Amino acid sequence: MPAISPLSAARAPSTATLSLLSNALRDLRIAAPTVTQHIQSRYASHQAQGRANKAADGAGKRLGAKKTGGEYVIPGNILFKQRGTHWFPGDHAFMGRDHTIHAGAPGYVRYYRDPARHPKRKYIGIVFDPKQVLPQPPHAVRRRQLGMLAYQMPASVSEALTLNVEIAAEVPAVPVTDALSASESSDVALPTPPARLNKQARTLRRSRGILDSLHLTLRPGYQYRTSNHEIGRAAERKEALAQAKGKTTRAYDEFKKGDRFAAWRKSAVRIARNNERRAMGRGKKGGKK
Amino acid sequence: MPLDRRAGRFARCIQCTRHDRSLPVRSFSTTAPARLEVLDSQTPAEAAPPPPAATADTPNPNTKPRARDANTVSTPAAEGQLLRNQRTTPVGSRRRRAAIASTGSIPFSQLPYQCFQEARAFLQVDRQEKLEHIRMQRQRIENLKLRAVPPQDEWIKENRIRDMKHRLEETKIAADMNDPVVKRRFEDGEGDLNKPIYRLLADRQWRAYRRKVLVQRITTMNVIPDVLPAIEPIVSTTLTFAGKRVQHGDFVDSRVSELAPSMTIQPYDKGPRLYTIAVVNPDVPDVEKDGFGYRCHFLASNIEITPTSTKVLLHKLQSETQVVLPWLPAYGQMGAPYQRMSVFILEQPKTEDGAGFQRLDAAKTRAEEPRYSRREGFNLLSFVDRFALKPVGVDLFRTKWDEGTAGVMQRAGIQGWDVEFKRKRVEPLPYKRLATVRYR
Repeated sequence: MPAISPLSAARAPSTATLSLLSNALRDLRIAAPTVTQHIQSRYASHQAQGRANKAADGAGKRLGAKKTGGEYVIPGNILFKQRGTHWFPGDHAFMGRDHTIHAGAPGYVRYYRDPARHPKRKYIGIVFDPKQVLPQPPHAVRRRQLGMLAYQMPASVSEALTLNVEIAAEVPAVPVTDALSASESSDVALPTPPARLNKQARTLRRSRGILDSLHLTLRPGYQYRTSNHEIGRAAERKEALAQAKGKTTRAYDEFKKGDRFAAWRKSAVRIARNNERRAMGRGKKGGKK
Repeated sequence: MPLDRRAGRFARCIQCTRHDRSLPVRSFSTTAPARLEVLDSQTPAEAAPPPPAATADTPNPNTKPRARDANTVSTPAAEGQLLRNQRTTPVGSRRRRAAIASTGSIPFSQLPYQCFQEARAFLQVDRQEKLEHIRMQRQRIENLKLRAVPPQDEWIKENRIRDMKHRLEETKIAADMNDPVVKRRFEDGEGDLNKPIYRLLADRQWRAYRRKVLVQRITTMNVIPDVLPAIEPIVSTTLTFAGKRVQHGDFVDSRVSELAPSMTIQPYDKGPRLYTIAVVNPDVPDVEKDGFGYRCHFLASNIEITPTSTKVLLHKLQSETQVVLPWLPAYGQMGAPYQRMSVFILEQPKTEDGAGFQRLDAAKTRAEEPRYSRREGFNLLSFVDRFALKPVGVDLFRTKWDEGTAGVMQRAGIQGWDVEFKRKRVEPLPYKRLATVRYR
């Protein structure tokens, strides 16, 4: 910008100077309001957000068949997961609380319909042999597996069981060893009913009181205690023992319903006792005075 | 006497019979039972009052409990006395008994109600008509039997006779069905089961409930189809061990079922019949087969039952002519599942002439038929087919290991009382490791 000399101060500034000044002042000028050309619109929801009125779709629950037809399964294996009963449990299969179908026996899975059982239902069952087929023909004997093995009882247990019979039975032992010969000898007398078997027959001691007669047995939880029925009957047995000797443990006579005479007697005794007490009390009072 | 002085105090005790009843006791109740009870206690039959010599300490030995009538007791105390002393239950409702006690004895058919008597008259006329029908039908059957027909039409004649007889039976029942005395007699248990109407009513009663329960038990416990493929129960059965009734499917203690039971077999059609009783256990554990086998615990034939003679004592049957396999006590070994003891009643086939029933030769069966004289592996269906029997009745009880089973088995000489069954270990399936890309 050329320096404004004092000599040219009286003259008007040059055009260039004026434009420069107007440029510099333009920014300070109050601008006129501009007209909006585009009206901005916003929507209620975006594609990325959850819906306003519809339910959200959750994670998949992995329902459906877990074991295919013909697969070997063991008891407990899940065969089918479902909501409700699209499939029903068939032979040797069972249903859990959420309608899950489990295998009930070791075997091979079969998916089938059984119109004899229900006209519309579909079943999942187990067969024991790969060649077997479900459903079984109507009125056929059910297929069952024992699933058990036979063991000899431990010596102590079998001894205890044998002991019982030896003590209790005065019956002559029937000499047959198996059922076949039993059927042949139809003249054998029928066994008489057994005497009362008491496991502690050997350990019973002569009762010299309640404590002696209540014997301690090993109960669940490794505690030795008398059984509840013995405790409950202790009073009864004490009374029976006393009566055998001609005495009684009763403080009062046995209550007989309808026996007004006994009731009157009892109340008369009580009234007399009360009167006596009252009289004594009066005497005392007099004595005190 | 202290007792006399206190008599007034016990005036309220109406029910007590210990006191002198010569003085009238006023009842404060206006309801019928109390009044009736007072009347009861003042009947002339019991006019002699208890002697006043009874003291508090010594009860009078001469007083004996009063005999009550099962038809007229109407108070709880009197009912209790009836039960305790005479061991009979009261008949009908209490209201009915009070009514009977308060009115004179009028036979049921003469009760003075006009509508009732009019209806009775109408039904009697109808009954006479039906009796006439019965007479006519019998005559017609006789005439038809006498008529000669060409041999090719013999079958038509037989069918016709059969249908006419069926119609005759229906008319016999229709003649008695509307009779209120018949209904009452049946409900009181006094019906003669030799008569078709009572048999029909009894059958209907059985089918209304008890048969349904039986069929349900048999089906849910799978006796059908495990022992026989199907059965239609026609006779009703009851099973009693040691004097105690067993409901269908009940568990019975091994000591109780050690001795043979007694049964009642009630047929609902006429005439004596011969039955065979078979007790089969389909749950015998077989470890080699990893399954179950059958065992016959009892087999007897030629048991004659009529609608009026229904009781069978299994231990009293003839061992020569009737019993093929005597009673083997029911037992369940330790650890084994419960054993179902199914009792089947099988009707023996008719003779050729159709008059009687064929007898099964028990001795011959024992000697010559090894399949049916052996207990183990007894196939009831095969037995039924072989001797052309018809399953008509079924019953069921169950047994399992209990404290008496070992003793029972030893006494009966059965091997295996010291055997325990334990579940086999099932090998777990190998773990399948899935692809690690998608599953951790």
